[in-house]
Amino acid sequence: MTSFDTPAALPLAQRGTQLLRTALGPFVALVLVVGVFAVADNLQEDGGHFATLKNAQNVFVHSATVAVAALGMTMIIISGGIDLSAGTTMALCAIVLAWFLREGYPPSVAVTAGLGTGCLAGFVNGTLISLLRVVPFIVTLGTMTIYLGLGKMISHSTMVRPLPAQIPAWMHELLSPRVQQEWMVFPPGVWLLLALAVTVSAMLRYTVFGRHVFAIGSNESTARLCGIHVPFTRIAVYTIAGFFVGVAGLYQFARLTIGDPTSGTGKELPVIAAVVIGGGSLSGGRGSIVGTLTGALIMQVISSGCTSLKQPNHIQEIIVGVIIVAAVTIDQIRQRRLAP
Amino acid sequence: MHRYALSGLLILLVAACDRAGESASSLRTDAHSGNKTLRIAVIPKGTTHVFWKSVHAGALKAAQELGRVEIQWKGALLENDREGQINVVQDFVAQAVDGIVLAPLDSTALVPAVVQAREAGIPTVIFDSGLADESVTVSYVATDNYNGGAIAAREIGNRLDGKGNVILLRYNVGSESTEQRERGFLETMRKEFPGIKMLSDDQYSGTTPLEAQNKALELCNQFGDKLDGFFSVCEPNTMGVLGALEQEGLAGKVKFVGFDPGPQLVQALADKKIHGLVLQDPVAMGYESVKTLVAHLRGEKVQKRIPTGEIMATPENMNDPQIKKLLDPEQAN
Repeated sequence: MTSFDTPAALPLAQRGTQLLRTALGPFVALVLVVGVFAVADNLQEDGGHFATLKNAQNVFVHSATVAVAALGMTMIIISGGIDLSAGTTMALCAIVLAWFLREGYPPSVAVTAGLGTGCLAGFVNGTLISLLRVVPFIVTLGTMTIYLGLGKMISHSTMVRPLPAQIPAWMHELLSPRVQQEWMVFPPGVWLLLALAVTVSAMLRYTVFGRHVFAIGSNESTARLCGIHVPFTRIAVYTIAGFFVGVAGLYQFARLTIGDPTSGTGKELPVIAAVVIGGGSLSGGRGSIVGTLTGALIMQVISSGCTSLKQPNHIQEIIVGVIIVAAVTIDQIRQRRLAP
Repeated sequence: MHRYALSGLLILLVAACDRAGESASSLRTDAHSGNKTLRIAVIPKGTTHVFWKSVHAGALKAAQELGRVEIQWKGALLENDREGQINVVQDFVAQAVDGIVLAPLDSTALVPAVVQAREAGIPTVIFDSGLADESVTVSYVATDNYNGGAIAAREIGNRLDGKGNVILLRYNVGSESTEQRERGFLETMRKEFPGIKMLSDDQYSGTTPLEAQNKALELCNQFGDKLDGFFSVCEPNTMGVLGALEQEGLAGKVKFVGFDPGPQLVQALADKKIHGLVLQDPVAMGYESVKTLVAHLRGEKVQKRIPTGEIMATPENMNDPQIKKLLDPEQAN
């Protein structure tokens, strides 16, 4: 009962099957959703635009910002935490980046500052949770508005607009659906997202730190008794997650070319939803990067599919809600079957 | 067991899509085939405000009159979500619609998306708020906001017989349309009513009625005893100022002109607590935008700038049929 439920603690063969099981569920759902929309779209008299490369590029580009932030959120949720400030931190990072560009600093400095802001914000979250012994939900509920306020303070409550000449060309192309080199298929930002995903996934699965993350999420007191430095691990998790939120801020800025203090408000919810649809458990100890990416894609496919089928926004919102509840229900049924 | 659950989900989705097909085809204004139906995407700034529902009504009216035009109405999920609006534009480009009608949430952030549409051969008509680069669009359909501010200045100036103390409460930094109104108001005041003194013209109300009310209360406390006129530049701002004037017992005494209607503001106009409301014509905006875009698609030459008019509603003229219609414009469901 109290043993760690980490994949790494299991024998290798069993580990493989479990990985397949956790990742497969959301993936089947993604294939289903894509299939259903593709068929329905083709049945329309003026349809046939859904299952196209152009639309696939859109789906990946549109989900990239949420997905990259969800990489960090996956770690946090596995460790038994939550980060409600992810959305406003994202906007804060974009504001800082835009501010440095506007003041004439080179892009490398601006990007570093933006990513650093994300790390710092995550570090503060982790430290407050560890020091104050207040649950992550409350701490990050507080820092959510603190970071929103800071963003407004830096931007004087308005858009931070660097001149077009101050924004480097690579930033425009980072997430542009007009891919410069056709062989790349997707813009660089999507590839960067996939590379980061592979890195985090490997870290969670094969490093001691990764096992510790699963351990404190599965059973914190057992983890402590086993000699894991829980506060240190927690602060590290939130700081790394902050870095990914910083990357999401960079993505958002690359798409908007302005820093908007309100652009992150509410964005934490799709980020959390991506993790949950992907099989992450809010009680900690479970979650996978492949699942999270799939979760982010599912939401975007529904959005794009509803546009193809000329559905208004409220239908899209209802379908996403149904998917979230269904995904978690199916996942629980599966877990119960797996349990001894 | 989860297989059953999954197939249940699948059935749900298929059912939803089936319904989708039905409602989409019933929307089509012309069922007979023959010429191709033009698919026009209309993208507002938000989808819940009354103003946009009126724009939608105008767009549908134009589609009906033109025939063989289908309106696809879609905004971002969250109001004021610039990234979401970019996604919507890019989605419609992938859908290969025939044309896009867009009220950009931001004058610069939406430019790349409009350029992408253009490169894909999809023309865009802009309405309500301007785009920084007008060379990439077909036309710009909007209220002349500068003139809206100017007629507000004349209304207050004439009601005060050219002398007195007036406050202008600005809206928000970086909002293009309201900045035009503020500029039109101040320049007209200075030019045509030299006897009128501006007590304050550098304060911003913020975007909600509550923020506006707090700011207006501060101004009333500071200048209340010598205040003769007040101009607020948009609906939430006007709501806030009205609340503040009522609290301070100044409503009705101070000549107060606002912008855009709303049920409470129309009532205040009838009660003579507001002496003027500058009205825009959102129905005409939707109507003219779609008409212009279709004309362009059919190879006709169109004007680069189409004003939809602005008019002053006062307690005296508010029952004229034309004004009455603008005070309570039609809405799409």
